[in-house]
Amino acid sequence: MRYLKVVLCVGILLGLLVPTVSSAQATKFRIGCALPLTGVFGKDGNLVKDAYTFWADTINAKGGITVKGKKYPVELLFFDDKSDKAESAKLTERMATVEKLDLLLGGFGSDSLFAATPISEKYKYPVISGGASSNKLFERGFKYYFSTLGKATEEVRGCVEVANIVNPKPKTAAIIGSDILFTSLAAEGFRESLKKSGIQEVYWELFPLSLDDYNSLLFKVKQKNPDMLLVGSHLKVALNVMKALKEVDFMPKLVAFSYGPTVPDFVKSLGKDAEYVVAAAEWAPNLPYKDAIFGTARELNDNYFKRFGRNPDYVEVASIGGALVQQWSIEKLGLVPPLKEADRVKLMEELHKGDWNTVYGRIRFGADGANVDHPPVAVQVQNGKLTTVFPKDVAEKPVLYPAKPWKERK
Amino acid sequence: MALTLQALVTGLLMGGVYAAYSSGFSLIFGVMNIVNIFHGELIMIGAFTTYWMFTLYHIDPFLALPVSIVSVGALGYVIQRVLINRVVEAPPMISYLCTFGVHLILSNLALLLWSADFRTVTTSYSGVGFSVGPITVPIARLVTFLIAIATTVGLHLFLEKARYGKAIRAASQDKEMARLVGIDIKKVYALTFALGAAITGLAGGLLSTYYVIYPQMGLPYTIIAFCVVVLGGMGYIPGALIGGLLLGVIQSLTATYLNSGLSVAITFILLFIILILKPQGILGRGIVE
Amino acid sequence: MRIKLFTGLVVFLALLAFPLAGAEGYYYRTLSMIFLWVGLASAWNLTSGFTGYIDFGAVAYFGIGNYATALLMTKAGVPFFPSIMISGVLSGLIALFIGRYTMKLRGAYFGIATLAFAEAAKQIVLEFDRTFKVRFFEGSDGITLPIAHDETFFYYTFLVVVGLIVVLVFTINRNKFGYALKAIKEAEDSAELAGVNTRRYKVSVYALTAILIAVLGGINAYWLTYISPLDVFSVIHTINMIIMALFGGTGTVFGPVIGAFVLSIANEVIGSRLLYTWLLMLGVILLVVVVFLPRGMIGLVSLRRHRR
Repeated sequence: MRYLKVVLCVGILLGLLVPTVSSAQATKFRIGCALPLTGVFGKDGNLVKDAYTFWADTINAKGGITVKGKKYPVELLFFDDKSDKAESAKLTERMATVEKLDLLLGGFGSDSLFAATPISEKYKYPVISGGASSNKLFERGFKYYFSTLGKATEEVRGCVEVANIVNPKPKTAAIIGSDILFTSLAAEGFRESLKKSGIQEVYWELFPLSLDDYNSLLFKVKQKNPDMLLVGSHLKVALNVMKALKEVDFMPKLVAFSYGPTVPDFVKSLGKDAEYVVAAAEWAPNLPYKDAIFGTARELNDNYFKRFGRNPDYVEVASIGGALVQQWSIEKLGLVPPLKEADRVKLMEELHKGDWNTVYGRIRFGADGANVDHPPVAVQVQNGKLTTVFPKDVAEKPVLYPAKPWKERK
Repeated sequence: MALTLQALVTGLLMGGVYAAYSSGFSLIFGVMNIVNIFHGELIMIGAFTTYWMFTLYHIDPFLALPVSIVSVGALGYVIQRVLINRVVEAPPMISYLCTFGVHLILSNLALLLWSADFRTVTTSYSGVGFSVGPITVPIARLVTFLIAIATTVGLHLFLEKARYGKAIRAASQDKEMARLVGIDIKKVYALTFALGAAITGLAGGLLSTYYVIYPQMGLPYTIIAFCVVVLGGMGYIPGALIGGLLLGVIQSLTATYLNSGLSVAITFILLFIILILKPQGILGRGIVE
Repeated sequence: MRIKLFTGLVVFLALLAFPLAGAEGYYYRTLSMIFLWVGLASAWNLTSGFTGYIDFGAVAYFGIGNYATALLMTKAGVPFFPSIMISGVLSGLIALFIGRYTMKLRGAYFGIATLAFAEAAKQIVLEFDRTFKVRFFEGSDGITLPIAHDETFFYYTFLVVVGLIVVLVFTINRNKFGYALKAIKEAEDSAELAGVNTRRYKVSVYALTAILIAVLGGINAYWLTYISPLDVFSVIHTINMIIMALFGGTGTVFGPVIGAFVLSIANEVIGSRLLYTWLLMLGVILLVVVVFLPRGMIGLVSLRRHRR
């Protein structure tokens, strides 16, 4: 009998799995997002959460999404995937089948999206992400996955092409990167760009994410004395590389990261040591982008600062861009909540057709879901501020080149 | 040639760091036979202490070290008296559960309080080093290396000569005998744990200057501490130094002549082989059941 | 005994019939996950709980199972069920080799050696291709398996396999093999002196555990459709197995089952909503268990019975 009691308790626990699904409400759009709020990408996931929250609050202040003249506020539901792929897939399934949400928004991290998108594809939920760009994501023939970011190998182009506008042009470059999906693709992107720019690759190494000892690696790079160092990175790797560069007393004429320096913590943590660092970006506040909802890029930048006490990283703006075009497509199609599968199929088709100008820039999805018309830019840390330096026609200031060696800095 | 020398120096300095944060682990295991799964959290708290001292009060991390030492040591003492004392005589499974529970609590409390952000301490002299010919030596690491040697020597002498030190050794060698001659075992354990924690806190405090720190950094460090201590011999204090230096040099040479990924692989393969062939560690002075 | 068998059978049949109720895919997915953990915790317990040799590297076999199945299915075109069988056998063979050496160690040393093995395995899979300039494990790119069937397929597969595992543990618990294992836990040296070939028993059960974990790993790979070394070889999985088994009660048949069930559901229900707080609570719960329920949740059940 004792065991039956235990089983009963277990059964009750199982019952807890059933969420309180509200009865058919047709007064708002329920939008869900599975993203890393804890774990190795917890920081980045929280940035994306803020971005979506900013979007939702901005449009809710005006009543919400306007469909056929009626306003429907947006309710955002966030689920923590703990930076774990399997969790991401599970949550996506849950959002689609149990919570029965109207719409989804993409989270952060190529690995998580890699696992989650087969699920959203199965249930025909368009997913637009502003935080995942590995090429492999677009090579699966999925119709329901979109990314406002360009492909990873494209995204990092700016870091290399900036070499074309400095004098004297760098002749050699070293590529290092952490050995996970996005960053290793970034490294390959660097490689391709170097070939196209006629710069010689003198060193290549991918290292484990768990690496403690960056010094040995960077001593090897120092020995080759490249003009440029290109790093496939996220924030943690970027911080580690900078600290190690100082310890080994090596500063190439140009150091560029695929990701990391645009997160405010980078400059905050490193202080003056962050100077001269270049990073790939797909958005900067001084770019001539604007839309009717958020105003100009500069205005978005300032409003974001007022709200969160920091400037938005380009991933955040990319996420907002994604939410925006989904919203506009719904408004254009006149889709009313609760959305049915047929509605979402129409949404997917509309997203493939669209060509929008947003505060994030131009968004046009190719057949594989990647944003095809979004030129990458490069920013540089100058006097503690991220300054757009490439391409020349949108640069705020010229590139500070070459970077001053450590011993010569005050 | 220069590259090899540099790799050796880098490896030795890395090893100093490893030794610094592993000796506490060795002490605790050697005396109390407890595998402290929250060891990494002690490092983390030590690191965050100097970080906050620097960020909030602008106190230089090296000057803030005493705070790390005292706070982590005190934390160790408290946890020992309240929890570890209950499980020190229990089967090992219980102590794993216990220390793992503390690991969960400490790391997630830190996460809640300080968020998952990556942080690092950058002072005006961060990363600065000096050159000996073609070799570059970062100062902060050299200091850690020297401190590691100092604490190893200090701890070793303490255990050999000081009254409390001898009591600790007696307790670790033969509990029942020690009790019979009047040694308060509970007190000894508390002292040991506090001491081990304090040393670890010191190492953690130093780390914040050249590593990136974050609340969940603990577990990987705990695993490395395992490796270091097994290499050098569990419970043998100078072994932590030897093990650390050896590990650092092997990793550095592998990273330099092969690649960084293999340096991590070699670490564990080596550890496995040592355990199979010589579980008492390189010098054969470790405690084996 | 009969009560346990009876309730176990009832539960199993109920679960078997559950899909007929026609629930959403999410439930199958979640229950599949719970079954997986019940299986893993039970398999881990078979060696570590019964013999007292705490294995800290069990995930190595999980990873081996995942990868063997993935490679067989994608590179050799072997169908699913044969793949997981082969993975199990392969894993068992590796375990026979590894166990032969690691089981000479005792206590924490055994734990660290197995941990080192698991971490080494992870790094080897990550670095192999690059080091030997081949395309085999695919390193950090991971392996994508053919898109799978619907959720009920995995639900049944997990349920049946895990059911078999529990029955296996139940059987061993009551036969001569299990008796020898428990003797090893209680007093290994005495058992050795009494003529029991402790090494043979230890290594055998270790290999058996490895086979079971690998089979579960194989199903996992097909289920997730995409695997990479950092996930399937992660020490976190071992930690989960240990915690679930310890929480429920090691050395018993249903302890790990209950532990895995309760903790998986709690993790699902609370963990996805309350972020860090859940893990914090788990830490506190573990400490409470350590202090008041050293035999795990099973202790709760037995305690009351003895008080009668």
